[in-house]
Amino acid sequence: MKQLTAVCIFLLAPALGTAQWLDYPTANVPKLEDGSPNLAAPVPRTADGKPDLSGMWYAMEVFHDCVGQTECIAQMGLPMDQRNIGRTLEEGLPFQDWAREVVGRRTARKSQDDPHARCLPPNFPRAYSFPQYVKFVQTPELIVMLHEFNASYRQVFLDGRPLPEEPFPAWNGYSVGHWEGDTLVIESNGFRDELWLDLAGSPLTDEARITERLTRKDYGHLDIEVTVNDPKAYTRPWTVTLHQEIVLNTGMFEEICLENEQDVKLLSP
Amino acid sequence: MTRFIPLICTLMLGIAPLAHAHHSGAAFDPDIKVAVDGTVNHVEWTSPHARLYVDSKDGEGNVVTWDFELPSPVTLMRRGWSKSSLPIGANVHVEGIRAREYPTIAVAKKVLNDGKSLFE
Repeated sequence: MKQLTAVCIFLLAPALGTAQWLDYPTANVPKLEDGSPNLAAPVPRTADGKPDLSGMWYAMEVFHDCVGQTECIAQMGLPMDQRNIGRTLEEGLPFQDWAREVVGRRTARKSQDDPHARCLPPNFPRAYSFPQYVKFVQTPELIVMLHEFNASYRQVFLDGRPLPEEPFPAWNGYSVGHWEGDTLVIESNGFRDELWLDLAGSPLTDEARITERLTRKDYGHLDIEVTVNDPKAYTRPWTVTLHQEIVLNTGMFEEICLENEQDVKLLSP
Repeated sequence: MTRFIPLICTLMLGIAPLAHAHHSGAAFDPDIKVAVDGTVNHVEWTSPHARLYVDSKDGEGNVVTWDFELPSPVTLMRRGWSKSSLPIGANVHVEGIRAREYPTIAVAKKVLNDGKSLFE
């Protein structure tokens, strides 16, 4: 393992030597005896004693089982929650009848009506499961979540303010958070109508209230329990847990979708 | 082994796997597979997908320029590519999935330069 590490560093030496941000080493990473990152190390804490959720995060479970099929090829390598956020629910998502019909239509059209395919924002909580990275920057009164796709952001206010009443509808909604022990609880409202929660087209409407419970399990792992309460689209609230792994020794890079988007013109109406 | 090392390095340094993003795949037919041998016309190093244009001769000797969609430049950089990885005139073999209604546009699934794999 040490030899392999040495080889890797040697091969990347030109990049590291010239301080390329692509490979820039993350500071203060706990290490194992062989020098590799200790992802099971304890959770770092902030000066005020809270778990520090800061860092770059990525969806752990990635789709790779497309053996013997062709339709799923385009989704190889995508986080599994991006294909279907309700994949872990035994009976699937509890759609209202109209929502079930809409999802059927969206899936039959191979998701070509997806706002994401038109370079629209990576709305949270869907944003956690894109192939791009998310970076949390935590301060005592505010957590900012940065997203590589379209260099976008989301704010979670920890300053005790209430959720807004009748806010201007937003792709990310409006979020406030508070700590319950070592779990950060985020409440969100004010979502724009007709959002998608995944590639299948699972809806999120302007009546949605979302609760996220974030627990950093150890240095390298973050669980995000998402509860969606959206009576317009679903017959009852539902909960799924997204599993994230830390991303080290690289940086956030812009992916500005409209820069040279060339797929929409290939679509039939 | 030489080809293995970069992948192992990538995993050890915690860089995420290669994944296509942004589009739904609706524009491309996974049952129409293409394989093209030719030379690089030019590369567009832009989001959301880098694009590789390849000049190839058809059955009658006419030059056809293919338009291949690659992952984003950021994804490619994390795999060791740069803007200059494929200079104009470089020999390439590209395999991909064709656009349903456009015969010379495809998503690249494998790119080889002078026989060496750049990604697959």
